[in-house]
Amino acid sequence: MGLLIMDLNHLDISLPTSNGAVTLGSVLKFILILSFSTLLARVLKIYLRRYLKDKVSKDVGETILKILYYGTLTIVFIFNLPLIGIDPSALLVAGGVTGIILGFASQSIIGNLISGFFLMVERPIKIGDQVQISDVSGFVTDIRIISTIIRTYDGLLVRIPNQQVFTTNITNVVGHPVRRFEYTVRIRYSDDANAAIWIIKDLIDKEPFALLNPAPSVFVNDLGDSWVNISVRIWAPVSEWFGIKTRLLWNIKQALEENDIEIPLPQRIVRIQADARKVPIQSDAEKIPAEPIPEKEIESILNYEERVLA
Amino acid sequence: MYGYHVPPFSIEQEGISISMEKIGQQWIYRRTLGDDNVEKIILGDGKRLIINPVEPLNTPKEITPNLLIEFEKTLLLPGGARRKIFLTFPIEIGIFISDRGDKNLQLLDVLSLTRQKFTLYGEVSNGVLCKHWISEVYSTSPSLNPLKEGIMELTLRNTSSDWASISKAVFSAYGMKLYYDGDVFMRARMDILNKNAAETGFELQPLRGELKSIRLKDFKAWKEAFGVYNLQKLGFVPLKFYMGWGF
Repeated sequence: MGLLIMDLNHLDISLPTSNGAVTLGSVLKFILILSFSTLLARVLKIYLRRYLKDKVSKDVGETILKILYYGTLTIVFIFNLPLIGIDPSALLVAGGVTGIILGFASQSIIGNLISGFFLMVERPIKIGDQVQISDVSGFVTDIRIISTIIRTYDGLLVRIPNQQVFTTNITNVVGHPVRRFEYTVRIRYSDDANAAIWIIKDLIDKEPFALLNPAPSVFVNDLGDSWVNISVRIWAPVSEWFGIKTRLLWNIKQALEENDIEIPLPQRIVRIQADARKVPIQSDAEKIPAEPIPEKEIESILNYEERVLA
Repeated sequence: MYGYHVPPFSIEQEGISISMEKIGQQWIYRRTLGDDNVEKIILGDGKRLIINPVEPLNTPKEITPNLLIEFEKTLLLPGGARRKIFLTFPIEIGIFISDRGDKNLQLLDVLSLTRQKFTLYGEVSNGVLCKHWISEVYSTSPSLNPLKEGIMELTLRNTSSDWASISKAVFSAYGMKLYYDGDVFMRARMDILNKNAAETGFELQPLRGELKSIRLKDFKAWKEAFGVYNLQKLGFVPLKFYMGWGF
């Protein structure tokens, strides 16, 4: 490698720059050093990733790796700038002006870059989190310098620019250690609501991941048209809430049915009042004053669906 | 049940059935507990099984390394006082496979006979998930079923000048050290720092004669249990637990 770089210095094609002449050899040397550094940084990144795997969480490890990787490349780049005729100290002076020009020229890229930096510092989301960002829901698989990668629940890869991530509302589903879910269980008016509550509480108590604190709550929430609504609110660890939510609902249904507490179908009470009796047509002479017909009240409970079909 | 077992063997106790037998060239490990059946094929000879109590944080699923023990009755400890109490803690039974000389230990199975329940210690936004256990407070070591419960000797130390009202203690599994021989034993401490904060940890030194006053067996014969958390490569994990949301 060293020999190759030495030989490159003998290439006498020179380009005029503000910092003196730059030979083609020095440009090639610059490219080689940068390529070699990139390769070295990548190899180091792989080894460091393995080393940090058991030491720190994945998101922290990835952030450390990115800072080290890009930091190393930036330092190598700056220190080798003289090879292509740029004085690094001049960057400090020209930095402001260059920054403004670059900022206007590549506004979105710089915006994404800065947003990416703030995302890594503020960390509203971490790799592995379940999030919802701009109508995209899924797992964060990577937070890169320019963009954030989401794997949706149905397995699609979505790349969201960091600027959009940073400026939009982020819902982090696993941001807190626990979360609550809720059911509404309907029982008949003829059923004992206290018994239903006791059965549901007993099931919750038997479920390991239904947390004791914050305590679950089971209560009659509403007296509906055709049923009594019982609200069930349970807190569960974020990693387990979906499993317990899907499992417990069916268990509640089965346990209630085993105790003759049923989930009612929609019901409506229909009162049919007969106020006139069909009488044969008679002449005026034959007309007998009609006796008042006693009200006959028919009360029936019809299933809504049956009524519609009828 | 606890101890070393050289295959082929078969054990049945408290509804747990564990066996290891050779079928053809393979060893088959079988475990049954109620409706829960586990069967594994082990390739290789000259292995032995170690059954011992492990940290009660692996079943039904390892979701937290913290154990919260709630006291049945609240304790009041004067400022500057130091007292020793005995609590119970849940046991999980770990089955390990190893080469001779306990080299290359590998966890094969974990089971539990105790009630499983979780709780949150602290706030919803930043609390800590814990396995939950309710314990009576004893002044002497209680007699327990070693497959279900262990004895924890807890030294309470109130470093503040105020009275401390203590109703729970949270422990990190990373520092747990279990000993067994008939009973299962663990020694822990809890330092009350102020009205709302305490720190818990475990005593890692071997058991000594000072416990002879309590009704326990000869401590020299007690074996140190292999822990599941000891097998994991620990990074920068604190062995103590800081209770910042009260006790």
